Amino acid sequence: MSTDRSPIVRRAAAAAAVYVAGIALIIVVGLLLQEHGPGNMGRGVLQGAAVGTVGALFMLWRATRRPPHATTFERAWTQTGDERDDAVLTRALAVLGLATLPITSAGAIAIAFGAPVEMVLVLLLTTQVVVGAVAFVVIARRS
Amino acid sequence: MENDVRELRLAAGLSQRELAEALGVSRQTVNSIETGRYDPSLPLAIAIARQFQRAVEEIFHVD
Repeated sequence: MSTDRSPIVRRAAAAAAVYVAGIALIIVVGLLLQEHGPGNMGRGVLQGAAVGTVGALFMLWRATRRPPHATTFERAWTQTGDERDDAVLTRALAVLGLATLPITSAGAIAIAFGAPVEMVLVLLLTTQVVVGAVAFVVIARRS
Repeated sequence: MENDVRELRLAAGLSQRELAEALGVSRQTVNSIETGRYDPSLPLAIAIARQFQRAVEEIFHVD
């Protein structure tokens, strides 16, 4: 049997290895939070990780088994795309990185004025996800 | 940058998908190049030039 695998399969395998390592880390953190964290935070982390993992595996399957049908988003995040996919992801992450500084500053100021820390952290995370998603969509449409 | 990729592709009787497969990129990338929304890297530009047996500067022009 040949051991010569195409670059796209090798990259997908590397991405899968990263996902598995990430899942293992999230499970450990989730279990620790379930034991020591406030309220139902641990359960939320584990449920969110489960949904995210299913989505990531679905994207990986589409990008490797049905490349013509995969979207720019799927190819970019599974690292199975071409130079344009990489460029779109890089630019979207750059926008997110730039936006993170003022967003985090606003969160710190809100906490200083007495806003609940937990709420600010949730809003901070949600805002970053939204900024990243919007940046990706806009950049993908323009390039 | 402006380019003649669409004209050359149609003259060669290739679809965007066929050209994308020949170049090892996605169909969306070929479409983005043709519409001028994405400028290819030098290696990809050379691959496009080789595909149509032209020089890079014959296909890609400064606005």
